[in-house]
Amino acid sequence: MRKSLVILAGAIFLFAAVSSAAQKLTVDQIVDKANKVAYYEGDDGIAEVNMVITDSQGRKRIRKFTILRKDTTDGGEQKFYVYFYKPEDVRDMVYMVWKHLGRDDDRWLYLPALDLVRRIAATDKRSSFVGSHFVYEDVSGRGIDEDTHELVGEENGCYKVKNVPKSKKNVEFAYYYVWIKKDNFMPIKAEYYDSRGKKYRLIEALKVEDIQGHPTITKMKATNLDSGGNTVISYDRVQYDINLTDDIFTERYLRRPPRQWIKK
Amino acid sequence: MKQILLSFFILAVSALPAGAVSLGKNLPPIHGFFEADYGYKFKHDKTKRDSYNLLEQRLQLKTRYFPKWFLADWNSEVFFRGDFIVDEYYAGKTKFDLREFYTQFSPTSSVDVKIGRQVFTWGTGDYLFINDVFPKDYVSFFIGRDDEYLKAPSDGARISFYNKIANADLVIIPVFKPNTIPKGDRLSFLDTFEGGIAGRNSERQLIEPPTQFNNTQYALRLYRTFGSYEAALYYYRGFYEMPRGYKDEAHHQLFYPRLDVYGGSLRGPVLGGIGNFEAGYYNSRNDPNGDNRLIENSSFKVMAGYEKDLGHDFRVGVQYFFEQILDYEDYKRALIPQDFYWDEYRHVVTLRLTKLLWNQTLHLSFFAFYSPSDEDGYIRPMVSYDVNDHLTATVGANLMWGKSDITEFGQFEQNSNIYFRIRYSF
Repeated sequence: MRKSLVILAGAIFLFAAVSSAAQKLTVDQIVDKANKVAYYEGDDGIAEVNMVITDSQGRKRIRKFTILRKDTTDGGEQKFYVYFYKPEDVRDMVYMVWKHLGRDDDRWLYLPALDLVRRIAATDKRSSFVGSHFVYEDVSGRGIDEDTHELVGEENGCYKVKNVPKSKKNVEFAYYYVWIKKDNFMPIKAEYYDSRGKKYRLIEALKVEDIQGHPTITKMKATNLDSGGNTVISYDRVQYDINLTDDIFTERYLRRPPRQWIKK
Repeated sequence: MKQILLSFFILAVSALPAGAVSLGKNLPPIHGFFEADYGYKFKHDKTKRDSYNLLEQRLQLKTRYFPKWFLADWNSEVFFRGDFIVDEYYAGKTKFDLREFYTQFSPTSSVDVKIGRQVFTWGTGDYLFINDVFPKDYVSFFIGRDDEYLKAPSDGARISFYNKIANADLVIIPVFKPNTIPKGDRLSFLDTFEGGIAGRNSERQLIEPPTQFNNTQYALRLYRTFGSYEAALYYYRGFYEMPRGYKDEAHHQLFYPRLDVYGGSLRGPVLGGIGNFEAGYYNSRNDPNGDNRLIENSSFKVMAGYEKDLGHDFRVGVQYFFEQILDYEDYKRALIPQDFYWDEYRHVVTLRLTKLLWNQTLHLSFFAFYSPSDEDGYIRPMVSYDVNDHLTATVGANLMWGKSDITEFGQFEQNSNIYFRIRYSF
């Protein structure tokens, strides 16, 4: 049994799509639209995820899983179901998250060899997701109320927004910039700075595709500028609005993955 | 023979492609692992080997198949997981251990059925069990095999019913399978017939209930969630999984008395972490009044636990466990002078620390049991490193100690070991 899974950070999603273009918006309106575009497109969705983690010495590790997502409320609570194929020692394990706003998420891990449904305490949303250079918040979303936002300019058809955490507790950055496309509100780049004003972390969209009428980021990269390591995530076979039912996100389907969606 | 099998293992593993073994387009893929384990023992006792208690190689294969000819409309599935073992502790004895072999299907949208050899687990404890009365393999646990071997499979059926009010799991086990416990050849233990710690000199016989209709074991769990909180009620009717009764003292025979368990549990977020609470009443049906010195009395068990994520991939878990022998005065009165006797109360606390480093490829883990009432304990430190996506190297230890030889962990002191494992997963 792999201990790393116990610390699995969370469920990844970056389903982006078009929202209505707007005229004069406040920065809070821009950030709110970007949040919904990046993390809440459609009512639900599925993707096959491939992750290539390259460490500072060039060694590569592969993660492969299927992820199901269902929104309870748009821009609010969500449920995630993650079924692992790789690495081989975690094959068939299932990770489930009920994402909440303003309090800790509920997380479960199912270990099939032990028939064990384990509850996972997970408060640190800035810890690594499955050993990659993405952290939990990159992939399931950081609460937009946790930062103050300032529109600092416009570059290459993007709004450039500076975000400063309201509480320095539990975050490793001092502030970060996000570039949000003006035409569809998709966030396509983020840069993180430490307290000395040094840029140490970069997240960028590498590929955007149109899926069911929604422009969707299907490839993105996180780079640790200090160590040089990076992680590239690819999303394949993305589908939106597949009518997932709520019961998928319960103990029943931890023990018996929904075969319609999970190709074991 | 063992060399042949070992070479086969090595050949099989080295021939494996990076991913699964594929036998052809229409056959299901096979996954699993190959591993080698060695456990060095510090102290000599009367077991079979002086310097080690674990030396084996293991090939696990697993596969699943969705038959089109068998209950396909019910979304049927057949799953197999089995271990091929070369056990050098027994001079290279080869063994096949069928871990799981079951079929599962859903006759209606709200019922799942799983029949065959399978692992049953429920309850909220971490290495502590109250309502999980299903078989465990404590020999594997004490010598440092992977955690998955702590749970032993059962042959039976699980029928699960789902609805909005509460879900139900009904488990039926027609064939009794006890816990796997030390019996002297590999691990020394307290043999009350020998008057102390025994190894291969133990002549103890464990008499299992025969497989017959009225020996069928039943277990029921009713459970549901209330928001983020999970609540469950449990019932079990069967036998003690440990030999808690004397059958024939002259012939060193123990047996597995009848047992009912009634219990409940709660789990959910507490104070920024996860809290759990579980309790159970063990009704010893062969000794209802507690006045039979040969059979364990009824008892009450309760535990509470708390786990917290402290950030930076570091988490801490603590548990407290308490058990009380009921009708203790009757038990004490029934004892005769040469009997070993047990205290009325037992308290156990546990501590788990987990830390991940190097992009979560290095795992540091520490687990400790300590009983202030028994004055004994058991420490399980472990370090494992994922060399790459397939290869994991592990070193750990099992350190038992106690003031007395007759306590739960104290009796195993001489089995303390340090173990090494290398595993290739595919």
